[in-house]
Amino acid sequence: MSNERYKLHPISAVIHFVKVLKEMILPLIVVVVVNGFGGSADSGGWSSYITYGIYGVVLVFLLVSGIIKWKRFSYWFEEEELRIEYGLFVKKKRYIPFERIQSLNYTEGIFHRPFGLVKVKVETAGGGPTKEAEAELTAITKEAADQIKKEMIRAKNKQPVEMDNEVEVQEVVKEQKRPVFKMSMKDLFVLASTSGGVGVFFSGLAVFASQFSNVIPYDIIYDEIVVFIRFGALIVALAIFLVLLVAWIVSVVITLINYYDFTIRVEDNEIIITRGLLEKKKITLPLSRIQGVRVVENPLRQLTGYATVIVDSAGGSLAEKDEKIRILPLVKKSKINPVLEQIFMDLHLEPSFTKVPKRSRKFFYRLDFLWIIPIAAAVIYFFYPYGLLSLLLFPLSFLFGIWQHRTAAYAVEGQQLVMRYRIFSKVTVWMEKRRIQSMTERATYFQKKKNVSTIITTIKSGVGGAITTVPHLDKADAEKILNWYEPMKPTKMQIEKEQPLN
Amino acid sequence: MRTEPINRISEKGLRVWRIYGVFQTLIALLVGVGAGVINYFTGDFFWLYIVISLVVLLIAYLLIYLFPKVRWIRWRYEVREQEIELQHGLFVVKRTLVPMVRVQHVDTEQGPILRKYDLASITISTAATNHTIPALITAEADELRERISVLARVAEDDV
Repeated sequence: MSNERYKLHPISAVIHFVKVLKEMILPLIVVVVVNGFGGSADSGGWSSYITYGIYGVVLVFLLVSGIIKWKRFSYWFEEEELRIEYGLFVKKKRYIPFERIQSLNYTEGIFHRPFGLVKVKVETAGGGPTKEAEAELTAITKEAADQIKKEMIRAKNKQPVEMDNEVEVQEVVKEQKRPVFKMSMKDLFVLASTSGGVGVFFSGLAVFASQFSNVIPYDIIYDEIVVFIRFGALIVALAIFLVLLVAWIVSVVITLINYYDFTIRVEDNEIIITRGLLEKKKITLPLSRIQGVRVVENPLRQLTGYATVIVDSAGGSLAEKDEKIRILPLVKKSKINPVLEQIFMDLHLEPSFTKVPKRSRKFFYRLDFLWIIPIAAAVIYFFYPYGLLSLLLFPLSFLFGIWQHRTAAYAVEGQQLVMRYRIFSKVTVWMEKRRIQSMTERATYFQKKKNVSTIITTIKSGVGGAITTVPHLDKADAEKILNWYEPMKPTKMQIEKEQPLN
Repeated sequence: MRTEPINRISEKGLRVWRIYGVFQTLIALLVGVGAGVINYFTGDFFWLYIVISLVVLLIAYLLIYLFPKVRWIRWRYEVREQEIELQHGLFVVKRTLVPMVRVQHVDTEQGPILRKYDLASITISTAATNHTIPALITAEADELRERISVLARVAEDDV
């Protein structure tokens, strides 16, 4: 085996530099602005030059450290391991056995594209919250990335340890390069214009504002606002509308850029998602790591016949925060099944649902009344005539409860459990028995009296768990699900088989 | 109808819960005394003292007597060859099924109060969930931990 050491592309020094700079930019701006406003008043003398001098030094330091990082970084293949050596001051080595690598993820940023480079992220099993044994190759050529993949496949095929692996290898033969799903421009626009990105934008705005909070002279602004309000409510409303409009447009553009050319392919038992306009993202998702599939229809999109498909994947940090990956961000409902059929071959896509019994209907809204009553009472008391409007909450939550009641259902199909429920959006979850970590049946005193109970299942998602709840099922149905989940008593055959192991 | 799990947790666990209840009641008592003092300096309404003491008494009754008792009666567990079944809950009764194949590790834990009564709690972890059986005799808990870990190793997927 060749022990030739490979280096990253020199551009990675620049990428490192820019990355650190990006993290520092906000505090830096704040400092500069504060200096510009506050500093100029008292002196404008040599003290301000010192601060600028410090920035200069910091910048140079960052640049140099970026270069050193690049110089020090090298990787090579040895003994079926990906070995990496890196470190700014302290030399560190990290050896990752190929067989433990779950997936390689490629990203192409704006710096990568002109040179035909990719960023490679190495994902390992487990990983856990510590994120040990993960590696990132900031910028290498596409050929080098392919080479890593080849080395990995070679190392993995050398020793098919488990039975499952052999089966998988056989299935690999019929590769499928054709995209399973490609998001149309029309769908992309619908997604962009209806996505909840507005909220994200506002939270971003809030964060931004909080960074500046000690700079903003609130009392002056307050006075101005008072004047502003005198201009009349119309202008205020207009301003708010304009801000919302701008926020919406920004979120549309961001979504368009992020989800541009969204494509799914299935290769070697992996789902490969590529998307992005400026930064091309490629996410590889081994099918064996997928724990559950959920179809989410929020009421607005449900009316127009659209839905989102999300998969839960175990371990790693693909989607950074949680492992709910949107494999179909937005799709016509009628198109879901043909796509899912190609990805998950053994999924029962049209299960026969058993709904929750009629007698459990009141459970869906009765509890809501409990918190509405005091709120409505308080609102009516304090804002007498208009407060009466809060009484509308009762029919609203009643109707919503009925809606939730009509949605709640389950289906057992062989080794699969399908659960359907609604909190606000209608969610249908497909789970395999062997992916369910635990199952709980839950009954309150009132539920028990009416002979209904709630079923809660947990599957692994990311490093934690994803909980699925179908409320107020018929007790008999709930027990049917529990019995289905209960591992079968080992038959004599199996016991004999186990003997030699002990 | 599914049968209930057969094992109960140690009777000494009930006593430990009562001790926890006493601590919680002491906090409630402190708050009550505080409210009483405020009342003394501001309004000094006689009926308010009665309300405060009644509330504290009620809390004491619930936390020291009733809740631990109900919880203890409800708490049942059973470790079978292929699965672990737990049942617990005060107002809401939960029954949880954990297949042996899903068990990743088992821990026993012993705080100062539990140690005094020679008790330990046992926590069963899967890849995504944790399940705790609160108060078992230490020797029993150790044995159970061993047993679960052996069973978990032997258990096979029936898929």
